[in-house]
Amino acid sequence: MSRISIKITGAQGQGVNSVGEICAKGLKRAGYCVFGYREYMSLIKGGHSSYQLDVSHEKIESSETKVNVLVTFNHHGLETNADDVKDGGIIIHQTPQWKFAAKDDVALNKRKITVLYLPTEDILKKLKAKPILGNVLITSVVWSLLGRSADGLKELVREQFGHKGEELVQMNFGAIDAGFAFTKSVVSGDDGVSADVRLSDPDPQWENHMLLTGSVAMGLGLIHGGCRFYAGYPMTPASPLLTFIAETQNKTGMVVKQAEDEITAAQMMSGAMYMGTRAATGTSGGGFDLMTETLSLDGIIENPSVFVLAQRPGPATGLPTWTAQGDLLLAIGSAHGEFARCVLSVSDAQDCFDLMPEAFNLAEEFQTPVIVMTDKHTAEALFTQPPYDQSKATIRRGNLVTDAKQLKKLKSTDRYDPAAKDGISARWLPGTEAATYCAQGDEHDSAGNVNETAANAKAQMEKRMKKMEALKKMLPEPELIGSQNPETLIVGWGSNKGVILDAIKDQKNIGYLHYTYLWPMKTEKLEKLMQKAKKTILVECNHHGQLGMVIKMASGIDIKEKILKYDGRPFFYDELLSRITNYQVN
Amino acid sequence: MSIKLESNGPSMNDYSCATQCTWCDGCGDYGIWTAMKRALVELGLAPHQVCLCFDVGCHGNGSDKLAGYRFHGLHGRVIPFASAAKLANHKLPVIAFGGDGASFSEGIGHFVHGIRSNYPITFILHNNANYGLTLGQASSLTWQDQPMNSSPNGIPEHTLNSMDLVFALEPTFVARGFSGNIPQLTQIFKTAIQHQKHGFAFVDVLQACPTYNHFATHQYLLDRCYDANAEGHDAHCEPSKARALALDTSKRIATGILFQREDVPSFYDRLAPRKDKKTALVEEVGKVDVGEFMRELI
Repeated sequence: MSRISIKITGAQGQGVNSVGEICAKGLKRAGYCVFGYREYMSLIKGGHSSYQLDVSHEKIESSETKVNVLVTFNHHGLETNADDVKDGGIIIHQTPQWKFAAKDDVALNKRKITVLYLPTEDILKKLKAKPILGNVLITSVVWSLLGRSADGLKELVREQFGHKGEELVQMNFGAIDAGFAFTKSVVSGDDGVSADVRLSDPDPQWENHMLLTGSVAMGLGLIHGGCRFYAGYPMTPASPLLTFIAETQNKTGMVVKQAEDEITAAQMMSGAMYMGTRAATGTSGGGFDLMTETLSLDGIIENPSVFVLAQRPGPATGLPTWTAQGDLLLAIGSAHGEFARCVLSVSDAQDCFDLMPEAFNLAEEFQTPVIVMTDKHTAEALFTQPPYDQSKATIRRGNLVTDAKQLKKLKSTDRYDPAAKDGISARWLPGTEAATYCAQGDEHDSAGNVNETAANAKAQMEKRMKKMEALKKMLPEPELIGSQNPETLIVGWGSNKGVILDAIKDQKNIGYLHYTYLWPMKTEKLEKLMQKAKKTILVECNHHGQLGMVIKMASGIDIKEKILKYDGRPFFYDELLSRITNYQVN
Repeated sequence: MSIKLESNGPSMNDYSCATQCTWCDGCGDYGIWTAMKRALVELGLAPHQVCLCFDVGCHGNGSDKLAGYRFHGLHGRVIPFASAAKLANHKLPVIAFGGDGASFSEGIGHFVHGIRSNYPITFILHNNANYGLTLGQASSLTWQDQPMNSSPNGIPEHTLNSMDLVFALEPTFVARGFSGNIPQLTQIFKTAIQHQKHGFAFVDVLQACPTYNHFATHQYLLDRCYDANAEGHDAHCEPSKARALALDTSKRIATGILFQREDVPSFYDRLAPRKDKKTALVEEVGKVDVGEFMRELI
């Protein structure tokens, strides 16, 4: 696959993200698919962060370990990231009088890496420009190295800063011209482009795509699916979703509450759902731990509820700004007692959007909690995504009774009637003119009155668990992508989908079985495929191989071959490709 | 003496339930339960027109002892649940009930933020100064030097001054009642339910716990509680005056509406996105066009 990558590094707050975002937008508009990946530390300013863009004319949804161009704001990037550059690549830095240690110099020479010093301070001084314009200068150097035109960048800059006045725009244009002049002065070749960072020809299909993070995609999905209330408590990597929902509230009219803790957030979501609107809450593992008592309550009162669980590495505070898939068993096994639940996971910008209305539909149809899993990688990665088809989503509210005539016929005992088909009884909302009931957290009879008899306890437990069977029946099997008759079958879930698909793209005999719905677990399709495949490999970002454990628990199938990673980083394209290849050879 | 029920609509019977009461003989919950039903009837609210949310404790066992759309949740958590229920449908009166055990220990954070946020709900504190349902442990409101289950030597901590805490949170409505005075309690509840349109109405109901509370007994409360409003106290006074009245329980205990103000908007009324909206969130569930947001991302 034809791809190049650019990494921008610096201290947090120096402008790493803004350079990354401008470059991404410009490249996308020029006809390239862009995948953005951020690494940063749990602090506000300082530290060491990076923004990596992987670019191709083909669909791309992964990062490479090594990059073609490294741009660094400070000398830490030279010390830390020089090894991240591919042979023949380029390093652009801004540290005056920087000298590599002799052995590093030799190594860089041997690897034919060009090191360019960009005298940002001098250039800006000449332009009488403020230090902040250094971001545009760097962007324009990268831009010119990639062989893009100055006009395209100027158009973007005008779009971004035009509202701040013509003077600022002209200052920016000056910086852009200076960047192009710098590149011309240091890079050989007739068109001023280094061969090693030359992009393949663009594909106009990408120009009208959106650039967005998984969190924004999920937020759009929530809004689209009729969510009217969102409660959360700040915790990476769930915070960007809360931020997006909050920033759009004046347009959506949604009630957004930053609660005093995660217990409150969960209770508020449940209270709003009980009353009959659509509400969601979101958090990461630690916050979810606090929410689980509420999850259990929603189980027994048969309350539709939607929890977004954005994973990061634990235990405890763990690695707050890094990624993991370590909470699958938590999602499936959390909260006391036995009750029906649905666990599903997003994997890219498309299903981040599609699965949110669906999460509400399942919650309301089955009157039970739905946990939507994501992780730092999906939440904060930048995806190139076609605008969503808004005709697809439906609003399904299950056995919710709203018709006045039907409401009149209801008896209190209809609410938790154990004889209801599939255990899914009628639900009607507080305030509607009908017989009333109690959403009862104690074991209860069909009207919600407390009832501790053995016969009732058994009947109500069986009523609730019947929903699990019905849910399992209606959920789709996992999706097989790539070879439809695979010799090597890869099994995975969540954010690994993008990198797995990029890695197996040119491999005819590999198929990827992607699990979107993780609980209740369906294994029929997997069993059939495994019978024919020579090798089945589990790919997960956790230590236990948790999807493998869930599959084994549900079916007895043991996937022995595992590619696991648990260092807070996602799989990189080249890394995964070589690990899969090694498995095939052995 | 008979007290005429003021209702042309719903009757006490409408709120009746076939379920049996399970509270101890002489429990203050009977009085609170009766006064609440009367208040709802006198406000002309039929059972389907109210949402009653119960915390966990002896009072919570009342969740199936009357009609109405009810919810019986987790220990200490009733305030956020009830508040969000109200935000989802601000047209429906929402009344939350909780005990002193839950409200001043496990759920004290919710209690603090509930008053601070001025959520438009009514909160009835069943205050019997101990954990009754778990067999008489000390709560934060139990007096010192009282041998209790799990603290045979009395509690080492000092007793939390609940009214001082409440007034520190700048409440918009504070009342105190006594489970033994049903006519007064009915009036307090009615006013507290009507206050919802202005925000959080806090009603501290002192109640007997004949089984475990041997210090503030029914007789003790009967001897000391007096109707402050009848003695001329105006609830629309300076907070400091109401606070002093509420805190001074050395000789007599002031009951009635102790403090009330209507000039502070409720949480819901402060939400910019809800300005000029005629509908409630429950009426707005449907597909929403996100085209405008998508265009900004291209």
